[in-house]
Amino acid sequence: MNTSTSLAVKPNSFWQKLKQQKALVLMSVPFLIHVIIFKYIPIWGWVLAFQNYWPGKSVFQQTWVGLDNFRDLFNDPVFYQVLRNTLAMSIIKLVMGTVASIALALIINEVRFMPFKKAAQTISYLPHFISWVVAANLVRDALSTDGGIVNDVLLSLNIIKEPIMFLGIPKLFWWIIGISHVWKEVGWGAIIYLAAIAGIDPSLYEAAVIDGAGRLKQMWYITLPSIRPTISILLIMNMGYLLSSGFEQQYLLQNGRVIDYARVFTIYELDYGIKMMRYSFATAVGIFRSVVSLVLVFAANQFAKRFGQEGLM
Amino acid sequence: MLLSVFLVLVTVSGTLAAQELKEFHVFMGEPLPDYPGSTIIGDIIRAETGVKLNREYLVGDLETKVGLMIASGDYPDMVIAAHFTSLLKDAGVLVPLNDLIEEHAPNIKRLYANHWEMLQQEDGNVYWLPIQAIPYGPDTSRYPSLGFFISKKVLKEAGWPVVKTLDEYFGLIEDYVKKHPTINGESTIGYLTLFDSWRSFATTNVPQHLMGYPNEGEFVPVLEQDRFVVRDYHTSNTAKAYYKKLNEMYNKGIVDKETFVMNYDQYIEKLSSGRVLGTFNQFWQLESAQNILLRDDPESIFVPFPVVIDGLVEEYQRDIPYVQSTQGMGITVSCKDPVGAIKYLDYLIREDTQRLIQWGIEGEHYEVDENGLYYRTDEQMALFRDPDWVQNVFGRQYFHNSFPSLRGVDENGNMFFPDTQPHLIYSSSHDSEKEVMDAYGVKSFSDLYNEPRERKYFPLWTITMPAGSPAHIEETRMKDVLNGYVPELVMSKPEEFEKVWANFVRDISPLMEKQMEVYQEGIDWRMENW
Repeated sequence: MNTSTSLAVKPNSFWQKLKQQKALVLMSVPFLIHVIIFKYIPIWGWVLAFQNYWPGKSVFQQTWVGLDNFRDLFNDPVFYQVLRNTLAMSIIKLVMGTVASIALALIINEVRFMPFKKAAQTISYLPHFISWVVAANLVRDALSTDGGIVNDVLLSLNIIKEPIMFLGIPKLFWWIIGISHVWKEVGWGAIIYLAAIAGIDPSLYEAAVIDGAGRLKQMWYITLPSIRPTISILLIMNMGYLLSSGFEQQYLLQNGRVIDYARVFTIYELDYGIKMMRYSFATAVGIFRSVVSLVLVFAANQFAKRFGQEGLM
Repeated sequence: MLLSVFLVLVTVSGTLAAQELKEFHVFMGEPLPDYPGSTIIGDIIRAETGVKLNREYLVGDLETKVGLMIASGDYPDMVIAAHFTSLLKDAGVLVPLNDLIEEHAPNIKRLYANHWEMLQQEDGNVYWLPIQAIPYGPDTSRYPSLGFFISKKVLKEAGWPVVKTLDEYFGLIEDYVKKHPTINGESTIGYLTLFDSWRSFATTNVPQHLMGYPNEGEFVPVLEQDRFVVRDYHTSNTAKAYYKKLNEMYNKGIVDKETFVMNYDQYIEKLSSGRVLGTFNQFWQLESAQNILLRDDPESIFVPFPVVIDGLVEEYQRDIPYVQSTQGMGITVSCKDPVGAIKYLDYLIREDTQRLIQWGIEGEHYEVDENGLYYRTDEQMALFRDPDWVQNVFGRQYFHNSFPSLRGVDENGNMFFPDTQPHLIYSSSHDSEKEVMDAYGVKSFSDLYNEPRERKYFPLWTITMPAGSPAHIEETRMKDVLNGYVPELVMSKPEEFEKVWANFVRDISPLMEKQMEVYQEGIDWRMENW
């Protein structure tokens, strides 16, 4: 809104404005320094990707190999498998996680009985605080064929005749990751949407009620459109993590049987990079991920702007 | 003499010494609970050396830990990293020990003398001390290092048969499962095979043993016209027959449905429940379950047999105790007092310290008979049969595991390990173990096996691929293929087995050549230089 005023001011307005907002600028300096130190200076380490790095020697004594590490990467058949798995699991997690969190936020928001509302919210976000090391064992136990609760329930409902070895079916692995992610993060994810919902002007609802809108219509026509900016901003930010898709979860739930579907970039960097002391190769993989993530974030941002949403940048 | 002077000194300076302990940070590549702070032998060792160790035991995956340690440049004073010790040397983390040993460690020099050539790396330096030295001669132990283990219950019911072939082994298990579908109210598990991450060798190493070999690793050196030639066994007919048998047993419900997705903790839990009838493994991997069974359910203990693929194979699966010359404890460039560190290790390896760690204090933990042979009374034996006491009160594991130690016969004809004292192996066995030994007319389970064969290079698996080399990448790929296909081979429908096997051979065959070259070079070098 204030863009219209700033367009009209004189050239030296930058300094005027700076002076005006001196306090704010000063306060943001420490954060800027923090970002430079921890996010920009380490980028210098990317030179490793163009060397054949060997520990114990300084960076300048290493042999330079040009783009060999990237060539190795793109010639590696495992790479394409890893790319597929990472994208698939990220998208499953993103879509299922977002939909489930929004749904939970909407439902919790409609509950009028406070003690139940509080209890439901607490119970749903508690798993977030369990580390994956513990959570993975819970998932393993629940899915076990030897007295696991999921198989027991399915058996007693006569839906299946034989216990299913869920963790041993390669094609199911992505979905187990998705569902266990939802179980663990749904409540935590809902908090931010609940906060956004709390900020909606109550008079909108009152007007809707007068116009004869029921609960569902209120959700559809008022709540959802009001939190649309929050949803799109979170989606744009999450785009940057599409090529990350976690590490512990896959690492702890995988087994030899499903490795073709379980290996994601972080595990690949570990198995084919750090464990073999191929630090340069691992760096090259990291660069590839960063560049693709950046492209994805920009693309999502443009996309959101085109559809009339406020972007991040 | 020197010791008593030292003791006097220690008592005199008493409290002063307690405050001036030298500290070393040690990383050990195996998991163990944190040191309890005070143990019987630990307190003596601390008083005599004035050294306090800050121990860091492995949590998680060793290969990852070592990779990260090297990348971070943050090293402990002393380090031992099992199979990955050589990576530390390649990265320049370890200091050469030759001069330190020459000047400050007469005992190390004397006791490792037999193995000195094996320890020298290509540059002529020694970088680590293997966890075991055999200065005077080898021993035999109660259990062989590996085998097809079968529950005592099965053998007893079948009238103590000698199990020789894979068909006989699974035949016995199948019969027993039919007769006893449940044990203690839970379903009987016919066969378990361990497949958890790096421990999956317990499943994939088996074909070489079915061919009669001891543990060589991923390939076997075959004697062809006076030369050991490295050959693949993963695609052999024996491997095919083995996986086909597992496939058949899986489809009959004998092999546990969960076997390929369970982790090591679940494996041990199942074994120690007494529901499992059979498993193949190296003994150290199931030793903890066996100890629990001996205490809680002695009729369900596991008995090892040298099972082979058919009656034509003559096995020599037992190995002669050998020194793992390619791994051991080293001192890093971060250590500020390498002389103090080597002196500490020199103290640990001395015969009298070793006797303290293994046998304890004379008159309290062991006795000496008129011939000078050590033995333990029934009460002493009972103490040492309690694993909690040995670990947390006595403290054996904290000074034996990972640290340089002595093995075999000592200078007086006793064994360094009480477990291997020949006249004690049988008499110190549990009654349940004795019953099995009596039934087969042997004095130790190792006697169920043929005598080992001398092979100078042994074993192949201690040759490592140069870090990050094409052979190293090929090795990781090959293991990926192996780990991907083995569960499928076992769990597919019987009519699909041939197809899966053909795909497996197609995918794994091109991933061996570079490794075999490295192994062949290593074997040839060892045959010439050792």
